[in-house]
Amino acid sequence: MTLRDFKYLRNQRILTLALILTLASTLFSITAFSLLGFYRGFNAYLGEGKDIVAIYEKRSHSPFTGVVPMHLTEQVRPINGVLASSPEVIAPCILKSEPIFIRGIVPEEFSKLNPLAIVKGHMLELTDINSAIVGRGLAERLSLDLGNKVLVLGVLADRYMELQVKGIYESQSTMEDEALVPVYVGQWLRGIDYGHVTLIRVKINEDQLSSSDLLNVIAKESSEPAQTSPSEEEGKQAEGIIPVVKTSLSLEDIGVEEAQRFMRSYLDRYGVTKETLLILSIMVFVFASASVAAASTTLIQQHKHEIGVLRSLGASNKSIRKDLLAKLLFWSLAASAAGITLATATLTTIDRSGYLQVLSHRILFQLEPLIVALNFILVSLLVATTITRSSLKH
Amino acid sequence: MAFLALKTLSRKEGTTSAILAVALLVAILASMSSIVNHINSQTEALSRIPEIGEAYLILSNNSTSITDSQVDVNLANLVSDSDVKYVIPQKVFAATLATNSSNHTAVVRAVVDVQTFFNVRNARVKGDIANANEMQANVGEILARLASINVGDKVSVNVGDKALKVKIVGIIQTQTQSDAELIIPMKLANHLFRNDDKVSLIEFAPKDPNMKDEVINHVTKLLPPNTKIIKVQQLKTFMQNVNNQTLSFLSLWSTIVYIVVIAASYVLATRLIAESSYDLAMLRALGAKKMLTFKLILTYTATTALLGSILGLALGIAGSQMASTAVRWMWPSFEISPFLEVGQALQILLLTFSSSIVGCVYPAFKSACKTYVEKQPL
Repeated sequence: MTLRDFKYLRNQRILTLALILTLASTLFSITAFSLLGFYRGFNAYLGEGKDIVAIYEKRSHSPFTGVVPMHLTEQVRPINGVLASSPEVIAPCILKSEPIFIRGIVPEEFSKLNPLAIVKGHMLELTDINSAIVGRGLAERLSLDLGNKVLVLGVLADRYMELQVKGIYESQSTMEDEALVPVYVGQWLRGIDYGHVTLIRVKINEDQLSSSDLLNVIAKESSEPAQTSPSEEEGKQAEGIIPVVKTSLSLEDIGVEEAQRFMRSYLDRYGVTKETLLILSIMVFVFASASVAAASTTLIQQHKHEIGVLRSLGASNKSIRKDLLAKLLFWSLAASAAGITLATATLTTIDRSGYLQVLSHRILFQLEPLIVALNFILVSLLVATTITRSSLKH
Repeated sequence: MAFLALKTLSRKEGTTSAILAVALLVAILASMSSIVNHINSQTEALSRIPEIGEAYLILSNNSTSITDSQVDVNLANLVSDSDVKYVIPQKVFAATLATNSSNHTAVVRAVVDVQTFFNVRNARVKGDIANANEMQANVGEILARLASINVGDKVSVNVGDKALKVKIVGIIQTQTQSDAELIIPMKLANHLFRNDDKVSLIEFAPKDPNMKDEVINHVTKLLPPNTKIIKVQQLKTFMQNVNNQTLSFLSLWSTIVYIVVIAASYVLATRLIAESSYDLAMLRALGAKKMLTFKLILTYTATTALLGSILGLALGIAGSQMASTAVRWMWPSFEISPFLEVGQALQILLLTFSSSIVGCVYPAFKSACKTYVEKQPL
């Protein structure tokens, strides 16, 4: 006996189940999209390509707090296969009472790694002593415009300074929430001397050079007699503006790694991996599934008379379950799709408002096919399990 | 009769699963909140690290930067009477520096006592310290390199139609913005401006860091209302703001969980009505009023929600503790101690309870409005 043509399920009652499925799916999607968005954004903070390598301090507790000798920049630059080496100082600061990250850069080298699209004003130059260019996200968040003068206060050092907005840039990355200044301004705000930077990013030609080759060159440098500060070897560097302070180098403190892997290693230290975040999101769904199971049972309870009639007409429990599954699976998939859409709309709205931030960087969420597929699978499995396990007896 | 009816409803098959449904939702909230609490406590611990810097700035209230600020220079005398290490009134302005070879726009900082200023900045001076009586100035190392200024050079400082010729007697390195500035004695700057009694800012630091709050309170009382005091190093503010960002995420996420609780509560009330249609019909037949039915469903859902919340809190706290212990076993270096504050637990309890009430009102009302015949099962 086929039950396909029996329309015994009332749409209004199914809608309750669909609503709770939609909400569970939304909860799962928002959790997964935002957590993975943060994970992806953090990993891509210094660049996504395999050709971008970071020279960093191994012992630092965060990617923002380490220091490496700046003279390594000059040292790796002539190596065959090195396309650009960008010394960078990342300084947490307060601007208009809001926490921001200011990055000290050598604009010419930085542009080789991250070409910036200037949407207003002009590109930063190393000689722009009191100027900064700000990302569009940051400019919107803090209502900054071209020519504005702002007071910047240090976080890791007792420093303050006035900066003028010279340009606004767009980068389609987390860098949109930062401000860029000449490297020495970054050093002032970070409270480190001219001989050190937070890290050095190096763009390499993968066919000619690997990160281990770079480390070997640095090792060679460290084996030479150390010259310590303040008995510096004064020289000219970065257009002769920044005083060169040659510092001692301890090889065991220096790490050279693919930029993305370097960032990932910090999250790994705290047990934050893509897998753990996915499991966490699935756990959230599983915990919410008790409500879905209750909704499925309620639906069957509400139709117990209709099911009883079908049974009296000769329909077996198996055929009723099959029919229920066929009819409810469609609704489940629709609810799942609605949940994903709702989550995407919510996150897009929040993303545009700049409300959702982690470490003063917006979470750049992206529709991940894996999450979408998982959502459909989990919802279908849940509905199928509750229907097949529920009692159809009157 | 109401008590008996409630007892009958609570013995229904679905009660346990209803409590469990709410409990699991609350458990997610409790565990997530306790993990976020741990993260926030870590950042707060960082913000408690003693700050090296103790400098404060006095600026005019309406200013957004240094150069547009104007404060009375005499305030410096009032501040110096307090228990402070140093007080440095400073006039900061942009000027065109004309050397023999080129012109450069740069920031000029005028201070009353150049020596004290350099001491505070831990400046290394190549040459001498500028003397006001001899029209002398010091130049920051970066500005000196940029504008090719050397010790002994004469530089013309031009502001509007006024000009001042100074002799560079020393090059300084401070690792601060002053490395890109021209430092001149205040007396010389007053040649360029009419308002001798105004400065851009007053920088000071309390003598005893342990007494800084008392000193700042005292100085604040001395200042006129058109001025403000700003602490230079803002580690605590930064950490608090970063924590607030995490809490914003948690708030948004929790809102969605509470919406799910509302929907779950709606389902549970609907299920109760479906399961207890016979009992409710009997009650009405025995003379129960509409309001009693409404109250019964409401009380049942509220009780279920309360029990579920308590169980969920216990599950959430215990679960996150067990998970963190397991993580510590696997990665001994990884320290995580999730915790939930009493206030937060009460908040979760109250919000879950309220959400449940909201969710069950409509089905309860709908059921109460049904007549005896409509309620009666087939």
